[in-house]
Amino acid sequence: MKKSAIVMAAALGLAAFGATFGWHSLAGAQQKISLADMSADATQWVMPAGDYANLRHSALTDITVDNAKGLKIAWQMSTNATRGHEGQPLVVGDTMYFESAFPNHVFAVGLDDYKIKWEFTPTEDQFATSVACCDLVNRGVAYGDGMIIANALDGKIYALNAATGKIAWKANNADPELGQTVTSAPFVVAEKNRVIVGVSGGEYGVRGYVSAFNLQTGARVWRAYSMGPDSDTLMGPGFSGPHNAGISTWKGEQWKVGGGTTWGWYSYDPKLDLFYYGSGNPGTWDPSARPGDNKWSMTVFARHPGNGQAAWAFQMTPHDQWDYDGVNEMILADIKIHDQPVPALVHFDRNGFAFEIDRRNGKLMLAQKYDPSVNWASSYDVASGRPVADASMATREGKNTKGICPASIGAKDQQPASFDPQTGYFIVPTNHWCEDYQPFASKYKAGFPYVGATVKMYRGPGDYGGALIAWDPNTGKIVWSDHEHFPAWGGVATTDGGVAFYGTMDGYFKAVNTKTGALLFSQKMPSGIIANPIVFSHAGKEYVATMSGVGGWAGIGLAAGLTNPTAGLGAVGAAADLGKYTTLGGDLTVFSL
Amino acid sequence: MHVLRFAGWALCLGTALTSLTGSRPSAAASAQPLVFCADPAYMPYSDRSGDGFENRIAVVVGHALGRPVQFYWRSMRAKDEYGEFLVSTIQAKKCDVLVDVPYALQQVRTTRPYFISSYVFVYKKGRGLGVTSLDSPQLRQLKIGYEGETPVQMGLKQRTLIVGSKLFLTADDESASPQDMVVALESNKIDIGLTWDPAVGYFLKSHPDLVAAAIPNTRSQGYPEQFTFPMAMATRLGDKALNDDLNRVIATHSDELHAVLRNYNISFSFPASDSGS
Repeated sequence: MKKSAIVMAAALGLAAFGATFGWHSLAGAQQKISLADMSADATQWVMPAGDYANLRHSALTDITVDNAKGLKIAWQMSTNATRGHEGQPLVVGDTMYFESAFPNHVFAVGLDDYKIKWEFTPTEDQFATSVACCDLVNRGVAYGDGMIIANALDGKIYALNAATGKIAWKANNADPELGQTVTSAPFVVAEKNRVIVGVSGGEYGVRGYVSAFNLQTGARVWRAYSMGPDSDTLMGPGFSGPHNAGISTWKGEQWKVGGGTTWGWYSYDPKLDLFYYGSGNPGTWDPSARPGDNKWSMTVFARHPGNGQAAWAFQMTPHDQWDYDGVNEMILADIKIHDQPVPALVHFDRNGFAFEIDRRNGKLMLAQKYDPSVNWASSYDVASGRPVADASMATREGKNTKGICPASIGAKDQQPASFDPQTGYFIVPTNHWCEDYQPFASKYKAGFPYVGATVKMYRGPGDYGGALIAWDPNTGKIVWSDHEHFPAWGGVATTDGGVAFYGTMDGYFKAVNTKTGALLFSQKMPSGIIANPIVFSHAGKEYVATMSGVGGWAGIGLAAGLTNPTAGLGAVGAAADLGKYTTLGGDLTVFSL
Repeated sequence: MHVLRFAGWALCLGTALTSLTGSRPSAAASAQPLVFCADPAYMPYSDRSGDGFENRIAVVVGHALGRPVQFYWRSMRAKDEYGEFLVSTIQAKKCDVLVDVPYALQQVRTTRPYFISSYVFVYKKGRGLGVTSLDSPQLRQLKIGYEGETPVQMGLKQRTLIVGSKLFLTADDESASPQDMVVALESNKIDIGLTWDPAVGYFLKSHPDLVAAAIPNTRSQGYPEQFTFPMAMATRLGDKALNDDLNRVIATHSDELHAVLRNYNISFSFPASDSGS
């Protein structure tokens, strides 16, 4: 693939990214190929999401709708870890880098001979394993300035020399003894000399934050909290929203344990110099105990990576009652919405609505259900940006609310979608579970009684568990939908060959026609897939790679050996038959024609 | 040997099922054994040696019903989830009785409660901490330790006291013990510990410098917060006859049951005599 053609393809879908090539005047990256430039080279896959915009799209064209049926396994490798593998490899030059689930082995494998160039396993605080909410997952490594950046579950961040695996620096972003862990991938904004890392652990009273570290030294530069005074949330004069709402929308000092953790994906617009991410659920599960909108939980944030200052924030689910974390990926694409061109941020939220936002200013342009079963709200008032909620689906003390759709795992969780510039479709892996939610049931925790919520999840209407869908952002409608027995918990990659790749929890790696959803290729894998495919080329040949290794929230039953329907935050029941389809175990598989 | 504490009763170690048989009325020898679900290594609740208070409660129940006592051993914490313990023990019919569950636990049929206990503050005597509830202002100056995923965690969270507090997860980790919090108090890693009285009372026996004080139920935050729980025995949902038997034992042998609890330094109150019947 010639580079000029790649640039054309990228520019076609993303006019704003023409600015990508003006980096060299910016500080910190002189005389180097910028990370943005590297990401435009389709032979490599240098960021977790492929590029800053989180398109997860490759301009490679050798694998096509016509020949995908001839895909074969090129090589495979065990990751030597058994818990959920939610990440993806990187390809930088002639080397593939990837990280396993806990205990977080990091591998560098040469693409010429498949030899392990180096391997790194951090020494971790084992207490972290008991604090992690939803399996001991990891979402991959990042690359920047000759280093591989790897997050460990216990909150340590390691910068490893990409050539040798030696530790260049080590930093810390969480303390398991305080209930904090890190499962997300680091996000490197190399042109601004920053490594951005979020935090997990909303169950334990963590007040969510995102931290930025100096890419060269590992020194922490700033930390922005999800709630609290403007000085903590970094909402200065340049912030377009209401000031100190991170306090005023809470009762008393509850914002101090406000949740809003930041364990999802991050994207960046170099032209606007804004990075985007979402925050999770508010810190106390009982909604009656925390009146107010609970800002800025469940929020899309736009911040400047240099100093962390917020430009705008948009709260999707005010006063959450269903655990609809807002952390899913923010895809930056220049699209038409109602036939008007918009530099958009498109986000498929756990709450079942697709949000299409003007990423310059946070203005909501369109919000539509991307699963027709969604019933906690009927619609959004686009002008005010607020949901039109159904009061009968509210959860409250003493009431068993039945048939809430989506279930707490969301119409989609963190499994990332892809934008295909050729069709203009977003290809979205979705969940299709509903739930009954009863707060204040008597529970027991091996010697410790408490009164807590009981959640029962089950497959939604039509008796399917998930679907891969194509979404037309112009109309806000589903174009096609391929049903799956289990939630589609693996991410998607699309290519200019017209092919979309994804994996399923029951252990199939699939290629479909991006335009129609027609199945082109399917391979049963060693374990179920909750990871994200990548596309690259080496020595002139196009490859598709994915990890398998089932687990994660929807697969926690299998991962933890559970069979009880109320275990694992209620996710086990609906996936109780997963064990008939697959077993645990992490591996990397690479396909080619 | 631990076995000798049972004064002539034989314990068969090394098998999933352990029988406690011996000096009983002759009718008991021919009676159907009563199988209790129990953890082989989770003091003070239960231990393969028979040293846990749940094991001793089981002996009282077996004796009262004239049935030999057997235990089906399985870790309550093996897979990080008590529900899984229920599925693989009582619901799988490996055993028939639980002796220490919260009243109204949904997955099983609970008996009437036979004791009420509470979450407690544990701290060093004579330090004059003056903490009487979660709303005591002194708590803001203290290094707090707490058991996770419990009502005290929720209470601390609501009062923003949880930031910087040390999390203990005894119920998730087979290598952890309720004693860990006692050790943290004695080594001044924490100033005050919040945990379940029946979990910690047994260990406090050998630490007379530590005191435990009940955390009162409250509506101070505007909604009910419950730190006191009635505890019961339980059978499978459909096992009404056995459940009736257990209720009769609770009605007629409460002195013996409560003597066991006192022996394990558990603070408790008595349920009203007609509750749950």
